[in-house]
Amino acid sequence: MLQINDLHAEIDGKPILKGLTLTVNAGEVHAIMGPNGAGKSTLGYVLGGRPGYEVTGGSVTFAGQDLLDLAPHERAAAGLFLGFQYPVEIPGVSNVQFLRESLNSQRRARDEAPLSGAEFLKLARAQAATLEMDAEMLKRPVNVGFSGGEKKRNEMVQMGILNPRFAILDETDSGLDIDALRIVGDGINRIMRAPDKAVLLITHYQRLLDYVKPDVVHVLADGRIVKTGGPELALELEREGYAQVAA
Amino acid sequence: MTLATLPSPRDEAWRWADLDSLRTAAQTPQQSTGIDPASLFLDLPGPRLTFIDGAFEPAHSRPGAVQLTRLDMNASHPLGALAQGEGWVLKLDARTATDPVQIVHLATGGENHLPARIDLAEDGVATVIESYAGRGWSNRLLHASLGKGARLMRAVRLLQDQGFVSIRDEASIGEAASYVATFLGAGQSGSRIDGFLRCDGVGAFAEMGGALLTRGEQRQECAVAVHHAAPEGTSRQVWRAVAADASTVSLAARAEVARHAQKTDGEQSLRGLLLKRTSTVNLKPELEIFADDVKCAHGATVGELDRRALFYMQSRGIPEAQAKALLTHAFVADALDRIGDEAVGEAFKADADRWLEAAL
Repeated sequence: MLQINDLHAEIDGKPILKGLTLTVNAGEVHAIMGPNGAGKSTLGYVLGGRPGYEVTGGSVTFAGQDLLDLAPHERAAAGLFLGFQYPVEIPGVSNVQFLRESLNSQRRARDEAPLSGAEFLKLARAQAATLEMDAEMLKRPVNVGFSGGEKKRNEMVQMGILNPRFAILDETDSGLDIDALRIVGDGINRIMRAPDKAVLLITHYQRLLDYVKPDVVHVLADGRIVKTGGPELALELEREGYAQVAA
Repeated sequence: MTLATLPSPRDEAWRWADLDSLRTAAQTPQQSTGIDPASLFLDLPGPRLTFIDGAFEPAHSRPGAVQLTRLDMNASHPLGALAQGEGWVLKLDARTATDPVQIVHLATGGENHLPARIDLAEDGVATVIESYAGRGWSNRLLHASLGKGARLMRAVRLLQDQGFVSIRDEASIGEAASYVATFLGAGQSGSRIDGFLRCDGVGAFAEMGGALLTRGEQRQECAVAVHHAAPEGTSRQVWRAVAADASTVSLAARAEVARHAQKTDGEQSLRGLLLKRTSTVNLKPELEIFADDVKCAHGATVGELDRRALFYMQSRGIPEAQAKALLTHAFVADALDRIGDEAVGEAFKADADRWLEAAL
């Protein structure tokens, strides 16, 4: 579903990704782990198309399309979802308005009929309920005044509503207490565990992987994948540290 | 011709005024605009008045309680003083209310001047909605007097395609009375909104604010002041400026609190949004406080759209132009949300959205 080949990227002229190669097939969950500064978040932003993250070499193919050729909103319409480590606050724009606009923009781009206000609200309420988010929060401005955990839960509600084919989740576990971690983990499994979907989990710690079992674990260090293995690799990392395993 | 008496930009109060485009507007020859005045009325019950080049147009009017009469008003304001002669008056007796009064000002070129008076007796309630369209220089003076407990809601939208609109509001607000005026500049003319609101009665409420949106080389500005002459008054000055291209918005707002006007609660919020690095927003917040037991908050900021928010929205599937429009809409909504009547508020927001579609 996603093929990254020899990807090089830089920020402000400073190389961060230095020849990253990775293939994720449909039906798989991959975890990318690695020390601070390895380029984990950069990988997420490059795949999402964030301005300022310049690709200097390599290729990314998503579902047969050249991903790097698409504008950020086109990547979303193609089925890519980027879960942010730090979800952005947008004062004055309600969650409902933001999400309905997002979903309907994607639907229009795919030549599907936009959802009416009532249809959308029904969908949004259902997703909020399964993630145990108070439906009142849908009316509030996007992420404004939300706690760290509420912001992450809101990311999952968004993912549930947008129903992507491929999700890149950047440190979705940070800022979550143990109950929220379970709810978010269940959410990821429910929304994304399907034969025609795939997930790239970017994480620092093993703990989210207790809830979302990865099929493949990669270690990212200094802009490259330095080691790939099964779920046992995450446990090994947790036990022995990155320095040991990546060396 | 009144151009000889215009103020000078050397005068501090007029330093940002676009007097050149006012002069140019005043000299444009009259020419049909092709605009049907009826299209500028909102679908509301109540009196409707149409003025074409400042002259009453009965064919498109049903004045109801509004009278047309000669007004010779005392005004020291340099532009306001030019608006004398035939004008309109809304006078309400105690404890009466009217349906919303709508006034359309259509200009075809040259200069036109029109005075108006609103007198609300005790507990009178009125809503007045004005729309400006066409070209040329339209100059207005409003004197309002609000008796005890009276309430005036005033909403003004500037939609002229070109030219210049200047408006001067002067109001005396009585005990527990409330004057709320909201302006939207979403046309392509220059503008100057002047106001002087006096809180003369105890517990008076004065509000003047709005959103001025400019593009191309357009310049719009407000220069407004609230004077608290009595205790326990409240004032709100919430203005939003959005400047695209090489345009300029200037916001000058002043709150004055007299020595005995204790317990005054004043709030001033001036915020500018630059859509291009070539655009300009000037802000001039002023507080002049002589009383010692008052609460006066003020804030003035200028910035650009939040790039992180833009990318966040795009990453969810919203195209860039639409994401910018949503963020800008949210930015001006603060000011337009002050319009109490829902239908009027929606109409003004729709005008702002049309502007955003064209400018972004």
